[in-house]
Amino acid sequence: MANAVHIVVCAGIVPDPLQTLEPITGPNGPGLKNEMVLPAVLDPWAASALYEAANLAAKNPGSKVWLVSLGPKAKLQQVMMTAAQKVPFELVPIDGPIGGFPDAHSTAAVLAESIAALPGLDRDRLLLFGGWESATRGAGVTLQLVGERLGITDQFYGVDQIDLRDDGSFEVLERVEGGKHQVSVCAGTPAVLGWATGNLAEPRNNPQTGMANMRTIMPALQKARPATLAPNGLRYVSVSLPKQQRTTRVVKDLTPDEIAAELVEWIGAE
Amino acid sequence: METILVLTHTALSNETGADTGAALTRASLEAMTAGKELAAQLSASLTIGIVAPDSVAASAAASSLASAGARLLAVSGEPFAQPRYASDAAALEALARTANASIILAPASARFARVAAGVAHRLGGFIDTHITGLQIGTAPGAESIEATRWFYRQRVEAVLTRDVRPWFLLLDAGTHAAFAGESASAQVEQVAAQIPALRTTVSGLRSPAQGAQTIRPDAKLLFVAGAGWTKKQLDGQAHAPEAGDLILAFLRVSGASLGSSKSLVDQGGEGQPVLPFLTHLNQIGQTGSTPRHAKGLSTCCHGEEPHVVGWRFIAQRRAVSLDPNCGWTRGKADVVYVADAFQVMAKLNALLEAAKA
Amino acid sequence: MSVESTTAPSPAPDLDRQTMEVDIACAGFGPAMGGFLTTLTRAWSENPADPAFESKAAPGMPLQVLCYERADDIAAGVSGVVTRAQGIRASFPGLNPAEIPMAVEVTHERVLYLLDPIGASRRSLTLRAADRVLRALGPLLGARDHAFELPWTPAFLQKHGGLVLSIGQFNQWVGSQLMATGLVQIWPGTPVSAPIFPDAAGKDGPAEKTVLGLRLADQGVDRFGTPADGFMPGMDVRAHLTVVGDGPVGAVSQSIDQTLGLPQGHAHREWALGMKMVIELPEDSPLQPGAVWHTFGYPEPEIFGFLYVHPQRLASVGIFVPSWMSDPSRTAYRYLQHYIQHPALWRYLKDGILRSWGAKSLEESGKRGEPFLAGDGYARIGESSGSTNMLTGSGVDEAWTTGTQLAEAVVELLRAGKPFTRENLAATYETRRRASWVERGAREAQNARNGFHGGIVKGMIGMALAGLTRGHISFQAHIPPAPKQIRPMSSRSAARLKLKNGAVLALENGRPLHDALLTARGWPEIAFDGRLLVTQQDALLMGGKVQAMPGFADHVVFRDRRLCIACEEKTCIAMCSGQAITEGADGVPAFEREKCVYCGACLWNCAQSSGGDRSNIDFLAGAGGLHSAEN
Repeated sequence: MANAVHIVVCAGIVPDPLQTLEPITGPNGPGLKNEMVLPAVLDPWAASALYEAANLAAKNPGSKVWLVSLGPKAKLQQVMMTAAQKVPFELVPIDGPIGGFPDAHSTAAVLAESIAALPGLDRDRLLLFGGWESATRGAGVTLQLVGERLGITDQFYGVDQIDLRDDGSFEVLERVEGGKHQVSVCAGTPAVLGWATGNLAEPRNNPQTGMANMRTIMPALQKARPATLAPNGLRYVSVSLPKQQRTTRVVKDLTPDEIAAELVEWIGAE
Repeated sequence: METILVLTHTALSNETGADTGAALTRASLEAMTAGKELAAQLSASLTIGIVAPDSVAASAAASSLASAGARLLAVSGEPFAQPRYASDAAALEALARTANASIILAPASARFARVAAGVAHRLGGFIDTHITGLQIGTAPGAESIEATRWFYRQRVEAVLTRDVRPWFLLLDAGTHAAFAGESASAQVEQVAAQIPALRTTVSGLRSPAQGAQTIRPDAKLLFVAGAGWTKKQLDGQAHAPEAGDLILAFLRVSGASLGSSKSLVDQGGEGQPVLPFLTHLNQIGQTGSTPRHAKGLSTCCHGEEPHVVGWRFIAQRRAVSLDPNCGWTRGKADVVYVADAFQVMAKLNALLEAAKA
Repeated sequence: MSVESTTAPSPAPDLDRQTMEVDIACAGFGPAMGGFLTTLTRAWSENPADPAFESKAAPGMPLQVLCYERADDIAAGVSGVVTRAQGIRASFPGLNPAEIPMAVEVTHERVLYLLDPIGASRRSLTLRAADRVLRALGPLLGARDHAFELPWTPAFLQKHGGLVLSIGQFNQWVGSQLMATGLVQIWPGTPVSAPIFPDAAGKDGPAEKTVLGLRLADQGVDRFGTPADGFMPGMDVRAHLTVVGDGPVGAVSQSIDQTLGLPQGHAHREWALGMKMVIELPEDSPLQPGAVWHTFGYPEPEIFGFLYVHPQRLASVGIFVPSWMSDPSRTAYRYLQHYIQHPALWRYLKDGILRSWGAKSLEESGKRGEPFLAGDGYARIGESSGSTNMLTGSGVDEAWTTGTQLAEAVVELLRAGKPFTRENLAATYETRRRASWVERGAREAQNARNGFHGGIVKGMIGMALAGLTRGHISFQAHIPPAPKQIRPMSSRSAARLKLKNGAVLALENGRPLHDALLTARGWPEIAFDGRLLVTQQDALLMGGKVQAMPGFADHVVFRDRRLCIACEEKTCIAMCSGQAITEGADGVPAFEREKCVYCGACLWNCAQSSGGDRSNIDFLAGAGGLHSAEN
């Protein structure tokens, strides 16, 4: 049990990536049209983090995985119906606003507070996981802020791989410029890892995993504590859809030779 | 009155600048331009912070920025030779505390993106990232700085402002011109950083194991392969090996960077033929990357919205597709060639090779 | 049948198949299951400690109730409906439609006969003559935009006081409340491949009309079902009661019907494909929420259409393409595009934006397709139990009500401590159903559509007669199996000529034959605008948002390849809502799982059969499909 780790995965929920999004501005600031109607999924990068966490926990007996998620209770419940079938975890739901526009500092404060209060969590064995960015806010700052609040100064972002060694140290691969990975070795927990896609395939839906998770998920959801997020002086001047309609020339009657010649000229031009 | 600090770092072997001998990364020089422009607009004082592996590199970097006429601060030393959260956070914290700035600009490099939020928190400040534009607000009342950035994976654009300080702003690469000034000797103030006991060692860089290096962020051209490359072709058969050869040959002769649609990189899991050199690192779009290149050429790709959002920063766009009604034809590309990409790419490679010879 | 002669999945080895025992296992989450679980949990919630709701499968635990849904989300339903909501309102007496996104009360109904403004519609001589008379009298009859509005809406069509709903949103609303009770679990993304029958040796008990539970679909297999990376055999969920509500093309329903048979004289022979768009109406749209239009006459005389207006400037607009439209080149998507451009609709839809799109097979046999409603350990509810009323064009409310009836029966049996035997379910569930308005309506409707098999005019007369006499007067008809309703290609020379022209066009443009054929018949090309008029592939991505999880076998199977190779009609390709079935290189159609929207049209749009009612296509269980919640 030398390498038993306590992994807390911070994972938000985001609109299903296939949905059509349209911003609107309401009395409480910007949001998405029909946001509560759109089907939601676990944030894709955070989902990678969750699968990696489960994989790591499975390989290191005695480990445990918590999933901390902030969002409207009803939406969290809906997303858990799918997420719970993937891997074993204990849900820590926080009933709060949906969407990408609330301030990340406030989100981080609420998350850190919830994590610090987790019963049974050994902070010395903590690996704080999450996506390196979210598909809503896309800021890539929440996890760092949570890490700072928990006093963790070994942090890694754009992580694609972790190898936990027998001595408790681990090697991490982080995405950096140029399509390369920076390789680091950390002496051990605690640490923060913001995941990119990792290398694991999405786990199959396992009904038994789902049922086991649900035993704790539903009571947790019923007790989810509400959270309001302070704006921290953040004000939106405008929120809009990009207008990038181009005039497209559709070329149907050129031979491959002619097209190639045109492309060569285009590639070479400044 | 705002006080502006621009944070910069010297180039590592994997970053632009290293190969050209420039002291600072290109992204740092872009942030430098943004800071200079903003300081001029606000009549604010400007300080530049430099993170460097040693004092020589710090001096060289300072010299290249001398013409900006700003106060120059540097943190240097062996712990800063490699990017690492604990040491970099200590360096930026020391620079920011010394500068006592209200606005802190920094490039959204992997190195600074890792630590800037933590540093903002240590200073009791706030941060916004992926900024693509800065302007002075025209709203009545006090002068405000407005930052433009994307939400929902480049699908919603927002302009925001904050009235709390210090305010960190991380600028996306390519949104400003790189600062270029006459090099001159410059007075640089060395700042000491309080480094905690370091528990992480950086052992270097590793390229993806699979095949050739295909991601070239500095290339002018982005070449995107869509799922059509590995599907059945006109003869009813799939030709994945030939597709792979054509694509790699093109990358070789054109120097283009390789991107892919999600459906193509996902195909491995479906037991379909795959292009072995593609990984999720190549994926462009909503759940992939949003690179910046002057030109983009899409092939065998349907051009649907979730993919095309990843083309937000590709200026000129052309597509080769067999489908005359594909998404690219509806205002997403400048030119769509309705043709068989296998044939076009073979000819294109031949022409480019002949031109090279 | 040799392995080479079929594209059917090879059966996976039974090694390591997990088994779980529960009290009630449910297949499919739609309106019927919503009604069942809502009624069950409501009775249970009155006293959660009631010993009647103690589990027999897991003693000491509360009743274990699990529901498995194939779609990736319970909101991924496919129907914008208008319903009288009699049964739904009975379950939610104080229902405020504003609580359900996209729901609104019906405020205004109209029935429109649409003339053909283009001249491409295949109208009989009788109909053409009638159209000429109507056009001549047009000004007197108040005709506008090539459409005549019936002065009144026949009583049997009226939905006044009812609701316009998005089934996706309604399912989500119901499902969220159910999950919040914590009493039942609903698992999306989990297809059920088959019911578990007793084995032949009989060790599992009496074999006749018995179901022991549900087998979930295998994961981590290749397209033929062969174990591949991450193979996970589908679990066997053994249940004291299996509730089957997986719809008309559901794998469990089909399997039970094939294995246990249907009551004498019953068959699934009448079908329709409903395909619709959810359209965001222009900002200045005068259409009011709650408006309901029924149309007939265009784009083909056999195709009925509808327009329902939801709140927030959204409208569901769609058509029904019936199995008795014998044309082998029937193609719903192209027809839908012509339909929305009819002047009477286009006036309101022009400048609209496609928000969502979807398609679904409707089991139109109604009472005549009713299976055995219950057996030992199982009960059937919803559309696949023959509840849809084809006279009133209503199915959701009926489905919901059958679910509530079963739940009342289950609660009665639980409280009485009686097992879920065929006799006990017959005495409680079937009795309730037979005595209800659902049954009365089904009887009145059962012959209402017979006339359509003798032509559209006879069909309309027959429907009116049945409607006005409450089913007492109707035409008799012999209705052949669905494959036989498709007219063979070679039977008419004029059609052959058009087919040839269409084929040339298809070859030139590299597009599907059925699409080219419509052009050859005089239908104008669609002027794509990228907003509302989009290609079928774009509709999949923009409107339908279709996706398929990896790791499942192909769920569309061509049973005998030789029949496919010899088939000239290939109606499966023409009627595939997602263009997931295309011409294959070897004469057998090719199937792309990731484009399938699970409409199930291929099942009854196959002109080939090796005998009996079954066509040459099997439609099995699979995951993925639409991700649209606005349907």
